[in-house]
Amino acid sequence: MNPIRDLWQSISRRDPLSTDKGKSELVFLNVWLHIHPNKVRPEGLKVKHTWYLGFITFFLFLVLVTTGIALMFYYRPYPQPAYQDMKDLQFVVFMGGFLRNMHRWAAHGMVICVFLHMCRVFYTGSYKRPRQFNWVIGVVLLLLTLGLSFTGYLLPWDQLAFWAITVGTNIGSYAPLVGARVRELLLGGHMVGEEALIRFYVLHVAVLPSLLVLLTMVHFWRIRKDGGLSRPVWKLKPQKAANLVHIGEPEPEPALAAVAAAPDKTYGLMEVVTGRPIFETVAPEEDEETVFSYPYAFFREGIALVVTVVTVMAVSLFWNAPLEEMANPAKTPNPAKAPWYFLGLQELVSHSALFGGVIVPALVVLALVGIPYLDSNPSRRPADRKWAIWIFTVFVIVNIVLIIVGTFFRGPGWSFVPPWVHVTAGAE
Amino acid sequence: MDRKLPQFFFALSLIALALLLAAIWQSSHPSWKLYQREYYKLESQGEPNAAAKAAIMDTSLEIHQELLPGLQRVDRCTTCHLGVEDPTMKDAPEPYRYHPNLAPHSPARFGCTVCHGGQGLATDKENAHGNVAFWEEPLLPKDYVRASCGRCHKEGDIPGVPELTEGRRLFETQGCHGCHKLNGTGGSIGPDLTAEGASQRSPEWLESHFLNPNAVSPNSPMPNFHFTKEQARALTFYMLSLTNEHMATYYASASLIPSSGYGRQLFTEKNCIACHSIGGVGAKEGPDLLGVAKEHSSEWLDEQLVNPQQVYPGSIMPAYDLDANARKALIAFMSNATAEDAQAILAQRGKPLTPEEAAIEAGKQDFHRFGCAGCHGVNLQGGVPNPNAQGGEVPSLLHVSDDYTKDEVIGIISDGKQPPLADPHKPPPPLYMPTWKTVLSQEDIQRIADYLWSIQPKKEAW
Amino acid sequence: MKRRSFLSWGAAGFGSLCAGVGVSLAAVLRFLTPSVFYEPPQSFKIGDPADFPYGPPTFLADEKIYIFRDREKGFAAASAVCTHLGCTVKFFQTDHHFHCPCHGSIYASDGKVLHGPAPKPLQWFEITLTRDGQLRVNKDRPVAAGYRLMVKA
Repeated sequence: MNPIRDLWQSISRRDPLSTDKGKSELVFLNVWLHIHPNKVRPEGLKVKHTWYLGFITFFLFLVLVTTGIALMFYYRPYPQPAYQDMKDLQFVVFMGGFLRNMHRWAAHGMVICVFLHMCRVFYTGSYKRPRQFNWVIGVVLLLLTLGLSFTGYLLPWDQLAFWAITVGTNIGSYAPLVGARVRELLLGGHMVGEEALIRFYVLHVAVLPSLLVLLTMVHFWRIRKDGGLSRPVWKLKPQKAANLVHIGEPEPEPALAAVAAAPDKTYGLMEVVTGRPIFETVAPEEDEETVFSYPYAFFREGIALVVTVVTVMAVSLFWNAPLEEMANPAKTPNPAKAPWYFLGLQELVSHSALFGGVIVPALVVLALVGIPYLDSNPSRRPADRKWAIWIFTVFVIVNIVLIIVGTFFRGPGWSFVPPWVHVTAGAE
Repeated sequence: MDRKLPQFFFALSLIALALLLAAIWQSSHPSWKLYQREYYKLESQGEPNAAAKAAIMDTSLEIHQELLPGLQRVDRCTTCHLGVEDPTMKDAPEPYRYHPNLAPHSPARFGCTVCHGGQGLATDKENAHGNVAFWEEPLLPKDYVRASCGRCHKEGDIPGVPELTEGRRLFETQGCHGCHKLNGTGGSIGPDLTAEGASQRSPEWLESHFLNPNAVSPNSPMPNFHFTKEQARALTFYMLSLTNEHMATYYASASLIPSSGYGRQLFTEKNCIACHSIGGVGAKEGPDLLGVAKEHSSEWLDEQLVNPQQVYPGSIMPAYDLDANARKALIAFMSNATAEDAQAILAQRGKPLTPEEAAIEAGKQDFHRFGCAGCHGVNLQGGVPNPNAQGGEVPSLLHVSDDYTKDEVIGIISDGKQPPLADPHKPPPPLYMPTWKTVLSQEDIQRIADYLWSIQPKKEAW
Repeated sequence: MKRRSFLSWGAAGFGSLCAGVGVSLAAVLRFLTPSVFYEPPQSFKIGDPADFPYGPPTFLADEKIYIFRDREKGFAAASAVCTHLGCTVKFFQTDHHFHCPCHGSIYASDGKVLHGPAPKPLQWFEITLTRDGQLRVNKDRPVAAGYRLMVKA
């Protein structure tokens, strides 16, 4: 009789982790962990393949949810109080400034990471059959992330927020037929005001996060169903898998035999149906080398989580989130800029409104969604897909260059001003 | 690598913990706590009794704030400036020094920033004093704090701040309205000045701007009015008082201070000297008013001003319709008025004007009040530079009858005029004649024309 | 050995992570504890002693207190909040009692309950003279009913 052990076992409901059964049950019997398979292919855990960008994006989202909920306690979505609450967070609320910093920097980080994650998936060809639809969900998640960041941008109600949203929503209003309507619907008026603030607030704290959570669940579930974590299949040599290092484990145990002999197997097919599957089987083959999720995958994920949190905390400790004067509709800063991730579009809009505000963003979204269906090349080997890689790289570079130009090289009147030249605003 | 994963995980967790503790430490050590500890140390030094000393040192450290919904402010200045209301701190070092002469502007009702500027919500020195990016009202330099009196006291004479009265007078008489909007009226050539005091203009900037507009804002079309240093300072005071804040009832009720200066103005306007004398100077129909405030209480005098018959049945003094502030001001004036004042008021009266003279005088006042004088000169001399206009400057009006008939001038005032270009390839001149018919009535325009004609040199008959 | 060190390092990492979460929770509690109050302050000046009349107590509506002034005994401040359910009581000159409009509690002028559901007498607050000669009431410092502040004229 050991009540403490009984208590622990009633919670954990598994064998000790030193046994393979325990490792299995840790995943299988735990509602939070069972999105993982019991065993994973070791190549999918390689840092140099995935860079853990999907995990990091998700962990940043967790940071955003936690800090965001905390900030909601001190936020009133009405112009003057909203701004005063920012000042209170900075000056009187315990850790208020730190939490706001974390929220702001994690939000920027998430936009960057979700983009980098998309690039990684493209370069490794991980969107290909059978993962086409998960790529589409990923594109929607990217748009939701941008939407979350954009709606959050307005909430401090300072000059930066007010004019970025004014400019940003005007870029959208160039869309033919519906643009002006959508803007009116979003702002609850024709200009950014208290109506817009409450609408952006509801979108930011309720609508968009719920959608994001929902689609993230589908995104993860599909990874599992479509064959698990991405891995560089083109590099695999059949024999290499057998040489994997076994860490922290005793010498090879007769595990396989034990599993095979397990008499109390609890899973089974509900029914056997006829018909051929649309997609090929994606579960690991019997003879493929796999490792237990615990500890191999979990420790790596844990490290990614802690690295993410540590980075966000370190940045927040030393750099304050920006806060300018209270929003003043009568005073336009020169130049007024959209949030940085829309500055590429603003740059294009400054040349042609129709081109930058409508055609390019529509084509980009359509092209991104269409990639897995347009790219009929079945190979994932980079050498076999030079053209695809070239085109995508050009897209990424143009995107980055436009954002850099819009952010650092545009001065008063949207004139070209290198960042090292200091320009004073013209005389009034 | 794989072998080291747990160690790595542990090390990173420790770093996370350390960063968290650092953030907590940072948040629990704000600078205002140091100031409060220092203050209580200072305060306890003055206490002879050990128990009282200990009680002071035990005061909990917390943020002090004045909630000022009527001023739409929250001022936390007293978190560090703890001695402002404690006379024993009158020689203490800043930020603890006593603020003398606060009454009736108690901090609980007025806070600090409405007069001093700065960022009331902030709790560290740099931010609170407002000399940081993105705060538009930094602390006003000591010499200019009195300009803030004009935020509430918007009318009449403000005792102790002659600069404001003078600044307002200059603004009304030098034609500033011609180019600048203030509270919705005025021209559109220059910037709107309704909230000039709320933007990040330093008093130094404003002062040098008034002395020479082009020195601080190059290419400004604003003419150099050749103000004296004192006048530039007076205008600066006035500008600093323009913040376009909504003052709630209580603060707005003090718009006019019942000062003796205002009383004197009323005394002159209401022509009291026609019946009363002061120290023997003036008319003898009514009683002499020298020392009247010593003989009677101010309540009695107030009653007398409301209803003379009630106090003195059969008094011939009419009941003037004076509001409470005006009565207070008159009483304030009477309590220190002397024979010299009466002399000056008599001299000011002059001889009455004929209806024609009165109309021309009204035209002259309109000329100044609506801002014609701003460009055409207080003495109609013109001469304000206007690049690329023919002649290069705003025309003088001293000889306007040489070039135009009176009806033509009325037409130009009514509909405005773009000055003809000297060089058609250059940009149009910055100054132009605005349309006045939307602002002025036909009679006003006629009177201004009459005024202009009244000073034209008489033409020789040929 | 390998397994042991692997597990214990992992456990240590997990432990320090849990410690971090614990500290975070404590920090969140402190974050949620208000540092400033957007309500009338608990300790406030009520003005010059000379402003208060002798005789019936002066009611200060915003602060919800009655200020008593007595020639012999001096100043006292009584709460105007009924101890039953928090309604504001009113002093009647006719019977020199405080009456609560909500459930009919009646208090004597010294705050004692005479009638009704009120469980406790009215609260009295410390009243002091500040160094600039003003009266200050501190609602954080309750005092006994007999507490008086004598101000030399």
